Amino acid sequence: MDPTGGPDRAAEPDRGAPPARNIGELVMAALLGALGLYLILDAASIAVPDSTNAIGPRFFPYLVGGLIVATAVALGVRVYRGDRVAGDESEDVDLDAPTSWRALGIVAAAFLVHALLINVIGWPLAVTLMFGVVAWALGARGIVRPMIAGGITSVVVWIIFVKALNVALPGGTLLEFVTSWF
Amino acid sequence: MGLSELAGGFADALTPINLLFALIGVVLGTAVGVLPGIGPAMTVALLLPATYVLEPTSALIMFAGIYYGGMYGGSTTSILLNTPGESSSIMTALEGNKMAKAGRGAAALATAAIGSFVAGTIATLLLALVAPTIVDLAVGITAADYFALTVLAFVAVATILGSSPLRGLAALGVGLYLGLVGTDVLTGQERFTVGVPQLSDGIDVVVVAVGLFAVGEALYVASRLRRGPVEVMAVSGHYLTKQDLRRSWKPWLRGTALGFPFGAMPAGGAEIPTFLSYAAERRLTKHPEEFGKGAIEGVAGPEAANNAAAAGVLVPLLTLGIPTSATAAILLTAFQGYGIQPGPTLLTTESTLVWTLIASLFIGNVMLLVLNLPLAGVWVKVLRIPRPYLYAGILLFASLGCYAVNADPFDLALLLLVGVLGFFMRRYGWPVAPAVVGLILGPIAETNLRRALAISSGDLTVLVDTWFSRIVLFLALAALVVPIVLRVVRGPRSSPEELQEGAPLRHHEPAHVAGDDREGTS
Repeated sequence: MDPTGGPDRAAEPDRGAPPARNIGELVMAALLGALGLYLILDAASIAVPDSTNAIGPRFFPYLVGGLIVATAVALGVRVYRGDRVAGDESEDVDLDAPTSWRALGIVAAAFLVHALLINVIGWPLAVTLMFGVVAWALGARGIVRPMIAGGITSVVVWIIFVKALNVALPGGTLLEFVTSWF
Repeated sequence: MGLSELAGGFADALTPINLLFALIGVVLGTAVGVLPGIGPAMTVALLLPATYVLEPTSALIMFAGIYYGGMYGGSTTSILLNTPGESSSIMTALEGNKMAKAGRGAAALATAAIGSFVAGTIATLLLALVAPTIVDLAVGITAADYFALTVLAFVAVATILGSSPLRGLAALGVGLYLGLVGTDVLTGQERFTVGVPQLSDGIDVVVVAVGLFAVGEALYVASRLRRGPVEVMAVSGHYLTKQDLRRSWKPWLRGTALGFPFGAMPAGGAEIPTFLSYAAERRLTKHPEEFGKGAIEGVAGPEAANNAAAAGVLVPLLTLGIPTSATAAILLTAFQGYGIQPGPTLLTTESTLVWTLIASLFIGNVMLLVLNLPLAGVWVKVLRIPRPYLYAGILLFASLGCYAVNADPFDLALLLLVGVLGFFMRRYGWPVAPAVVGLILGPIAETNLRRALAISSGDLTVLVDTWFSRIVLFLALAALVVPIVLRVVRGPRSSPEELQEGAPLRHHEPAHVAGDDREGTS
């Protein structure tokens, strides 16, 4: 056996574990418990046809609901007692960085807005706006270059998927007019 | 016994059109494997609509190519970026990174690629040999047996993957819930649709997989982006010297031997065999002083184990219809999209398809070996894509893939919702894969449970009627209880860093000073 293992490892603080973590995870456990309760309560209102023999459509939801509630309780207890794990490791994630709720909010909002705009202004334009805002929120320099990059990508992708692969994707008035001779 | 069918499979797989789809698959797979933030599971999910236009053989060959390609690409990322990506690449990254830093990046990439090829080829051969035998054993399987198998897969995926069994179970529960939403197949009753008409058909697998993987990852990265330019290490030095080769071939074979059985059992995942392989190579090496500084054995072994496990996962998928990883679960959905149900009868009913698919895995492996070594420079460029553009692009393709399913913006709103869920799961260390497996395998489990109970008119003892179901359920119970007991008794698993420093693979007491209780616990 190799005796070189350093004893200082254990003393190292947990990476990616800001102090607020425990409360957040308790909330997660509580929400999970609520989901389990919802499953159990709502399963009771699923209509069971007379023809159903043995077990009907309610049995499995009860089972899943029970599993979720049990897991939530166990997880809640463990987290309350101080159990914690680091957030997921990922190539581009700095676990020591503070959470940027601003960037997160902008990305989520941009995505929601683009979803609502697709049927109004077409997919290429909606997704270009989303691309530009997301890239800007993630720290790309300026807003013009991301918009141009997004615009070119989306138009190329739209032409490939709509004209070559026949995917239903609204192109917006202008683009559909320009490419109508295809 | 499968060999004559396999030869027939090669004849079918070597047609130009199938070769083309294999090539598309492996190139796409390598690219998404290299790129951080996306992986084979999400890519196959995004391409699921292709099943509407392509014939099954072509589509499945492409998907299998993506699956294998993703494994190759993942090793490139873990060697050339100084940060670990997916859990099964962590062990490769430990030594591979050090090698790249020491100017031996090319050798690390080469041993990973050739090791992947050796492991992939041997493991695919084992798949071809083992599959008919398992089908023979499983052909008389009852609905209750099948339900027991799904329970084992659930428990294994939830407790063995990821850092915490309880969080795995929590993720599994969320996935099972998402699988329940929609119309009950047997009675036509709506369940948990909260009055939303779009939900009566259920939540689409594409939306959940892309939401959890792509949107969840993008949001998570947005919240904690590693600032500054991306540091990609140069691919320098010789590919493989004679000495490198001498030091690599045994770890390749040992890694394969460890990886395949772990993948083939419904035990889930490549993480454990890569850990075991690393620990084994560390103990067996003639150059212990190099471990932690860039030992080639530490790249060769785990990488082979990773790929062999990936091929092994196809055994339960094809012979039993049981997926034990997120990608396998989505592959199952692709089969179902063609009205094909993987399981014991698959090898007889769809014999040509299965053997063509297996043959194309061999071909894909050769393509990957040929592609990867000369193209290493291209992948380095791909890795340098500025992150703001990369994640904006990922969201663009997520939008495209999900909108294309139903042409309904509602799906995109749902996608965002699932993405937020994925964000919080990542933030608090809940693994994502069990949720995907729960979503896809949950309805199959329910159908078999109800079928079994309908035959017995509701008598629950039918579930433990056969020895097969008893053994499988016992294994499931063991998979649930043993990790928890080990954790309570001995604390968390050794971390990759501890392994690198030379601690043996074991569960250990976290408060103890390393070195004082080694003998009793290893």
